[in-house]
Amino acid sequence: MNTSSPNKSLGIFPHSWSEESAGRIPGNIPIWVGILSELTEFAIFFVAYFIAKYHYPEVFATGPQGLSTSLGVANTIILLSSSYFMAKAMMNIRLDNRIKCERYLWLAVSCGAFYLIIKTWEFYWNNLQGLSTSTNEFYTVYYYMTFNHFLHVGWASCAILWVIFRLRSGEYSAAEHSGLEALAVYWHMIDLMWILIFPLLYVLR
Amino acid sequence: MKKFTKLEWFWAILIFITLFNTFLGEQFESTALVSIIVALTVMYKGITVIDHFMELKHANRNLRWLMRMYLIIFPSLIIATVFF
Repeated sequence: MNTSSPNKSLGIFPHSWSEESAGRIPGNIPIWVGILSELTEFAIFFVAYFIAKYHYPEVFATGPQGLSTSLGVANTIILLSSSYFMAKAMMNIRLDNRIKCERYLWLAVSCGAFYLIIKTWEFYWNNLQGLSTSTNEFYTVYYYMTFNHFLHVGWASCAILWVIFRLRSGEYSAAEHSGLEALAVYWHMIDLMWILIFPLLYVLR
Repeated sequence: MKKFTKLEWFWAILIFITLFNTFLGEQFESTALVSIIVALTVMYKGITVIDHFMELKHANRNLRWLMRMYLIIFPSLIIATVFF
């Protein structure tokens, strides 16, 4: 089994990019490769949104009116709260307070579950209104963006359950918690994407 | 009663901004001013999460720069749409 540190670089980048020179990498390098790939994927969605909005301004001006803003707001508050709970979990593992850390992780995963329930309800509600991916260009972009984000919240919530299991197994401590930190930065990335998605699809006309 | 730490304040501010932006979107026609306010507050929300929740403020400066640029470029495109 390969036991080398995941934060050991391949030695192919300039020294100025190293941790000694540029500062500590939260989590580990592999999770940042994943995060930057996800950011690229969402960047393509955002570019598609702006191009479509440029070509179909009327459709994008009326589109958000068909959505349930209150469900969008609820999910935004839930994800912001989950990020806060995740930050508190990190704070507590650094203090070696595993009980409190676990409590905050459960709160974070509960937020993830609430988000998924509300989003499922929203998709169902949209369906009752007769909205679908083919209604118009706005809803095509809406479904691509939000369903993709939905999947990210889903698998990241499963990952929180995994780190809770690892925490209970005594794998994390104040001295070693890079796996937990890797999940935390990934979770915050998902929250960041929703911070961008929410105004584009629910607020701006 | 427990004291509000920095993290709690940021959490409260982020929720307040979300509600404020929704109010703007619901109550006013999407004017240039509304779009600019929403774009700037989204930038602020993003940078707050990056610095204080993701804790990149005192971590790797390249990653922080990349993340910040992302949360500056896309909200800037909201401002650009004002001029379409």
